[in-house]
Amino acid sequence: MAIALGIDLGTTNSCAAVATPTGVEFILGQRAERVHPSVVAFPSSGGVVVGQDAKRYRLTEPQHVIHSAKRFIGQNIRAPLVQLALTGIRYKVVEGPNQQPIVVVRDRRMTMPEISSHVLLHLKRCGERQLGTSVTDAVITVPANFTDAQRTATKEAGRLAGLSVMRLINEPTAAALAYGFGRNQDQLICVFDFGGGTFDVSILRIKGEVFEVLASDGDFFLGGDDLDRALAEVLAAECNRILRFDPRQHPVLMMKLMMGAEAIKCHLSDNDAAEGEIDGIDLPNGQTGSLPFSLNRAQFEELINGYVNRTIEVTKQVLAQAKLSARDISDVLCVGGSTRIPAVRNRLAEVFKKQPNISINPDEVVAQGAAIQAGSLSGSIIQGSGMGTRDAVVTEAHSPLIHGGARAQGPLARPVLLDVNPSTLSIQTAGGYAEHLLDKNSPIPIERTRVFTTARDHQTRVEIDCCRGESRRYAENEPLGTLVLENLEAKRRGDLKIEVCFRVDADGILHVSAMDPDSGNRQEAALQVIGAPTQEGA
Amino acid sequence: MGGSTRTEVLLWAQRVVAKRAAPAHEILELKVDSSAEDAQAAFHKIARIAHPDLHRNGMTPEELEMVTSAYGIAAGAYQTFRNQSMMTTRMKPLKPEDLAAAAMGNKPAASAVGPTSPTATPPTGVPIPSAGANQQMNSRALVYYRKAEIALRRGDVKGALLQLKMAIAADPSSTFLRTALAEVDAELRKGG
Repeated sequence: MAIALGIDLGTTNSCAAVATPTGVEFILGQRAERVHPSVVAFPSSGGVVVGQDAKRYRLTEPQHVIHSAKRFIGQNIRAPLVQLALTGIRYKVVEGPNQQPIVVVRDRRMTMPEISSHVLLHLKRCGERQLGTSVTDAVITVPANFTDAQRTATKEAGRLAGLSVMRLINEPTAAALAYGFGRNQDQLICVFDFGGGTFDVSILRIKGEVFEVLASDGDFFLGGDDLDRALAEVLAAECNRILRFDPRQHPVLMMKLMMGAEAIKCHLSDNDAAEGEIDGIDLPNGQTGSLPFSLNRAQFEELINGYVNRTIEVTKQVLAQAKLSARDISDVLCVGGSTRIPAVRNRLAEVFKKQPNISINPDEVVAQGAAIQAGSLSGSIIQGSGMGTRDAVVTEAHSPLIHGGARAQGPLARPVLLDVNPSTLSIQTAGGYAEHLLDKNSPIPIERTRVFTTARDHQTRVEIDCCRGESRRYAENEPLGTLVLENLEAKRRGDLKIEVCFRVDADGILHVSAMDPDSGNRQEAALQVIGAPTQEGA
Repeated sequence: MGGSTRTEVLLWAQRVVAKRAAPAHEILELKVDSSAEDAQAAFHKIARIAHPDLHRNGMTPEELEMVTSAYGIAAGAYQTFRNQSMMTTRMKPLKPEDLAAAAMGNKPAASAVGPTSPTATPPTGVPIPSAGANQQMNSRALVYYRKAEIALRRGDVKGALLQLKMAIAADPSSTFLRTALAEVDAELRKGG
């Protein structure tokens, strides 16, 4: 039977799993690792290397190692935040058709979905090797605040990897599913997802098998990478002071400092101080120097304080959007590697007046939830025909369900995920206003129809400009695209009716159609979103 | 929509698609004066039975499209209810520890309840100041007060009024309860 993988396609790391009647089986890499770096290398020696092996090339040929592709997928390269993120990478990115970012490695031009498809293909192959069967379907997770274009591009990556993407689900929702599946309780939880590249907070109500997202928000450009970079900048300044050499112009050296910073960050999560030296620094005079460092936890916390404040601020906003107070939340789930930082956990405990739940593995829980959803959609976990007996024993790969498997509690109801739309979707009306059709945090899939009229006499053509964002002014929102309705009957202004229907599907992708109900003249179009990958690609 | 057979789901979807332009409560098959909680319960019921994910394998593409559309319309109607901030949104959910704390006479930690953001729309109904209710009355009165909350959540204003009067009888000194009574009374007169 067809196997459906649940895939957490992360900025820095990815993780894949398959649901079985007793739990979740993780897809292991060649070294039996559950977590696969989302790194794709195109080494000079030829070929494509993905995952742990690709990371090795970071020091020898950083310009050929593509990491953090998730930061650019489905993005408009001209967006200021994208430009800022581009300053932090060492490979070459240029503007392609439809303002999409294109990676250039030697003479190859590749779209961001192509890069991500290499990671997905790697996971698919690891899965096939491990399970001994072909893998054709997948549920892929995306940050809750991913836009339309980013979601479309992620689906495209799945398609390029030969996977039929059954569903895109939001990462915090997946985590909540892994946490609450089979628990059969009524509770309000907060999922705090602070990963390598993105930050999301969702408030969910879990009631039996129904997982309802009440509110969700986040910051797409905030993650562990930013903390590493802040620390690497400090190390660079130290390097300049001690070794009298500024490494900022040297990609290889900065990469080395970033890796050092990441190691120091992780060390400080378990220890009060980090001391040592980073060696192998090539100096301009041909010698190799080493950079001593000494940092304690308080200094590090001060350095990252601004970032942590931002996450707490967003968390409070989301609570307000859900019209709840911190006391109503019965459990706070920590998801994503950056929640291992004690300062983050302490601040969360302060806000919620209780210790966050750290019993789940922050790196694996999202893939686990995706696997449960994949198993549910393909019917394998519910009918109990999943993996059969191979998971009777707990292996390197197998993790039991957080609250016991199906066998412990009788048949499990299929989980029903009620996710939400991450931002308000509007159309432009006369005077440059944005008329909101679908609110932020509306349950999806959703469909809303509104009737509009013409602004001028004898208008035979209307352009429907769609945008996303919370502002009442169209120009202050992010434009999504324009739908044109033509050959309308010439009528006095206000006499013509135009029905505009906004539909957001279960993947969170918007479909807009417009109709003149009197003539039945219907125009439907998928919006060509700026920055989205085009079929022609690079 | 009692059962969950395929035919019943399809009939439901047909009904909803046919009345897509109807007011939210009609789409959710609710009474005019239903609360946000009623809408949530109705929508959860729809989700458990008619969510398109549950019918991926058992329907033709056309049927699935209709169910998806009907589900989307119902979601839109539910969102309308969520937006209209109901009278109960400011009420703190009843928690066992609150009652236990009240029964033991403990002073629970005070905390701000209700919309913390100035952007939240003010509720149109009864603004019962639920914050620290258990510090505002004795434990016997609190039991009646909680019953009043439950009645309000059901939309039973008269029942709530009765329970509030019982609460005042149990703790005549509580000004908090008298304020709440006045507010519910005003609501009843406005509504009736």
